[in-house]
Amino acid sequence: MANDKTSMQLIARGILSENPIFKLALSMCPAVGISTTVINGLMLGIAVLFVQVFSSVTISLFKNKIHPRIRIPTYTLTIATWVTVIDLALAAYLPDAYARMGIFVKLIVAFAIITMRLEMFACKESANDSFWDGLGMGLGFLVGMVVIGFVRELLGSGAILGYDVLGFKPLLFFILPSAGFFVVGLMMAFFNWIELAYKRTKGKI
Amino acid sequence: MKDILTIIFRLTITCILAATVMGSAFIITNKAKKHNEHVNEQKVRYSLLGYSAAKPIPESMALHEMYRYVVTDKESQAIGYLLPGKEGFFFLTLDMEGKVIANKPADIAESAVLEKDLRDKVVQEIAGAGKSVTFADQTIIVTNNGQRVAYLLDGKFTGFKTFIGVMLAVDPKFSILGLEILEHEEDPGLGAEIERDYFRNQFKGKTFDQLKDLDVVKEPLPDEYFQALEGNIAAADAAKILAQYGDRDIYALTGATISSRYVNTGVKSIVKKFAYRLNILDTALAEQKITAAF
Repeated sequence: MANDKTSMQLIARGILSENPIFKLALSMCPAVGISTTVINGLMLGIAVLFVQVFSSVTISLFKNKIHPRIRIPTYTLTIATWVTVIDLALAAYLPDAYARMGIFVKLIVAFAIITMRLEMFACKESANDSFWDGLGMGLGFLVGMVVIGFVRELLGSGAILGYDVLGFKPLLFFILPSAGFFVVGLMMAFFNWIELAYKRTKGKI
Repeated sequence: MKDILTIIFRLTITCILAATVMGSAFIITNKAKKHNEHVNEQKVRYSLLGYSAAKPIPESMALHEMYRYVVTDKESQAIGYLLPGKEGFFFLTLDMEGKVIANKPADIAESAVLEKDLRDKVVQEIAGAGKSVTFADQTIIVTNNGQRVAYLLDGKFTGFKTFIGVMLAVDPKFSILGLEILEHEEDPGLGAEIERDYFRNQFKGKTFDQLKDLDVVKEPLPDEYFQALEGNIAAADAAKILAQYGDRDIYALTGATISSRYVNTGVKSIVKKFAYRLNILDTALAEQKITAAF
């Protein structure tokens, strides 16, 4: 199955039509757990973006050498390696950011979205296409995390990027993990509604 | 059969490759990480004492490190202190009643004492075979022209999720000069707020007597107090407001009363235990006419 999409289409697919959080509903644990503020979401998004791109390219480069029966352990090992590298690099060069992201970076090893992209795309396509696909998926995750973080920070602590904009805390509930699911659900509905509206104007439905 | 061999071979190669990548990353980043930790530690210490890059620490001030060890063998338990003397370090062992058991010079350099492994080895040698030594905690004694002006206490206690590591600065009368949260894994947005200024600074200025029955109250934090704690208003006004609220209990964090309580009890117990231990140590030093560097 050769890939017939251009690099831009691959990126757009990751952000819009196959957004990991709003469309594929993958890696919900971290999305719900850490996206309490915009900054938290952004930083985990960036870390995931790097891991996704590096892992996709690595698997794509070595796809002919991977025995089909042991591809999952190989994927896990690849992801774990890159997560460790990023974890070490963050701890060494960005200690302030690392202090805030804490244990969540290590959790990236178990992110469903990364393994899924390796299995569905990187193990079949060229390194170049895998790079763009990884970038698109990573960006999609990042955008999702930032949007959820925005809603939860605004409603939960009445602030944006740490600046108090509302002056009061409207619903403390939105900081709690369970509220993450509500936000994700509402966002999914919103994105689907936009997509439907867009298709309707194009006369496709 | 052939399959198994290829699988074993390829997985081994993968593992070796992964290990090489991770190992190289570790070697490259380790130095920077150690350096960061050291810089960060220094910054925390100085900021707790009220100094920063803009306001450097005066020449007459000195920081002396004191390490506490628990020395045990089959029958008895003793407390050992690795202290800086006039010339080099010495290791003082006290029994549980505060009587001096032994006082031996420790052959360890100023720079080597900072490395935990080297320090532990020297202490083990002094304590002798058959004893087991465990590192308990470290304290930094700050002196200005030979007079003690503050103590920096390291501490760790349980939080809502895992341990909370803190550093406390107290003056010679054990009033709190500052509290810094070094590590914690509390919930972001809730318990994690313990590291914010408006929570930490509530402990500032609490005297030893106030601390003994300091409690956590579930009341909303008054806005002017919040602004003063966060340092959003002019220093003179802030000082007035802080003085007005100085004798209040600690206001619990919204949605994180348990974390607030743990920090409160943790801080209290660190200071109380330290005051008790320091008293014993000072008495022992005075009785034996031992002069320490502080």
